Amino acid sequence: MALHYTFPPASGYPLNRCLYRLKSDDAFRDAYLQDPEATLREAGLDAERIAALRTLDRDRLLALGAHAYLVFMAGMRLKMTTAPQTFERF
Amino acid sequence: MPLCAAAALPHTPQLLVRPETEDRDMVLRVHAGYAQVNRELEAARPDVICVLGGDHIEGFFLTSVPALAVYVGSTVSGKFDRYRYTFDVHEPLARAILEQGIERGFDLTYSQDLALDYAFYVPLHFAMPEPRVPIVPLYVNVYLPPQPTPSRCYAWGQALRAIFDARPERVALLASGGLSHFPGSLRYGSPDYEWDRQMLERLTAGRGAETAALTGEELDKAGNVEFRTWITLLGAVGSAKASVVCYEPSWHHGNAIVTWPV
Repeated sequence: MALHYTFPPASGYPLNRCLYRLKSDDAFRDAYLQDPEATLREAGLDAERIAALRTLDRDRLLALGAHAYLVFMAGMRLKMTTAPQTFERF
Repeated sequence: MPLCAAAALPHTPQLLVRPETEDRDMVLRVHAGYAQVNRELEAARPDVICVLGGDHIEGFFLTSVPALAVYVGSTVSGKFDRYRYTFDVHEPLARAILEQGIERGFDLTYSQDLALDYAFYVPLHFAMPEPRVPIVPLYVNVYLPPQPTPSRCYAWGQALRAIFDARPERVALLASGGLSHFPGSLRYGSPDYEWDRQMLERLTAGRGAETAALTGEELDKAGNVEFRTWITLLGAVGSAKASVVCYEPSWHHGNAIVTWPV
């Protein structure tokens, strides 16, 4: 069985940097929600990576070198921003 | 001075932000477990709380990935969504840990400026005593391979205990993390609860030293990469027999709260 958390290859660095900023950088996340395509392109991602990230296609992202935890928390933080009514429910 | 309290607690973010995906009663039972640790900390009257935590690629991104690190600033702050937090740091103890840790052969990284990850915040949100006491964030790399080995984590815990024992402060030691969960993995919905239960049995029997012989591969496969913070704490508490305050498996996380007599 493959490990769940593996060494992030250098080729995945720009993608991981975008995932990290979606997770932790409020201004970057807001810019992404305003204009995802332009924000990711300006951050240095190519069309393939932009498509994988915009759909949060986990398998594709991991194949491109994304770190599994960053995929998870970038998705959760986006949801907390776009659907806050689904949190703090009790 | 010897330790005045030792506990391991989860930092599952859903316990803090309570999304609709969670079972309300289960979350409230874990909150009750945090409250018990809060009462034990208030009774123990620590001067400082040292928190062993695994950074979730928040304070340390791929710009630098230390295996073991100590935060040696005067305050430390962070944020998680609407939660904004700042803690005073016990600088004299942090500096003693850094300097004596290096003397003891641990090539520690230190920082005076890091965003504090929620791994440190969530347990303190629920268990920080009143009046608040300063903290020392102690970093153990858990998510970015290659991580420190379990035996190294255990040895670091033993060194921490020796450092604490020679200090004037009353120190509470917390380990943040675990138990089984697989964030971002295909196995997110199927943690290894059996591994957790067997481990809790070992810890209640005072067999914590055996965790030094675990392998990194075993921890990863069990969804327990964060167990390294517990192993470090176990190095500090030795053969003390753990008390399980609660073990509450959710659909994605084995939430365990454990204390040790010290």
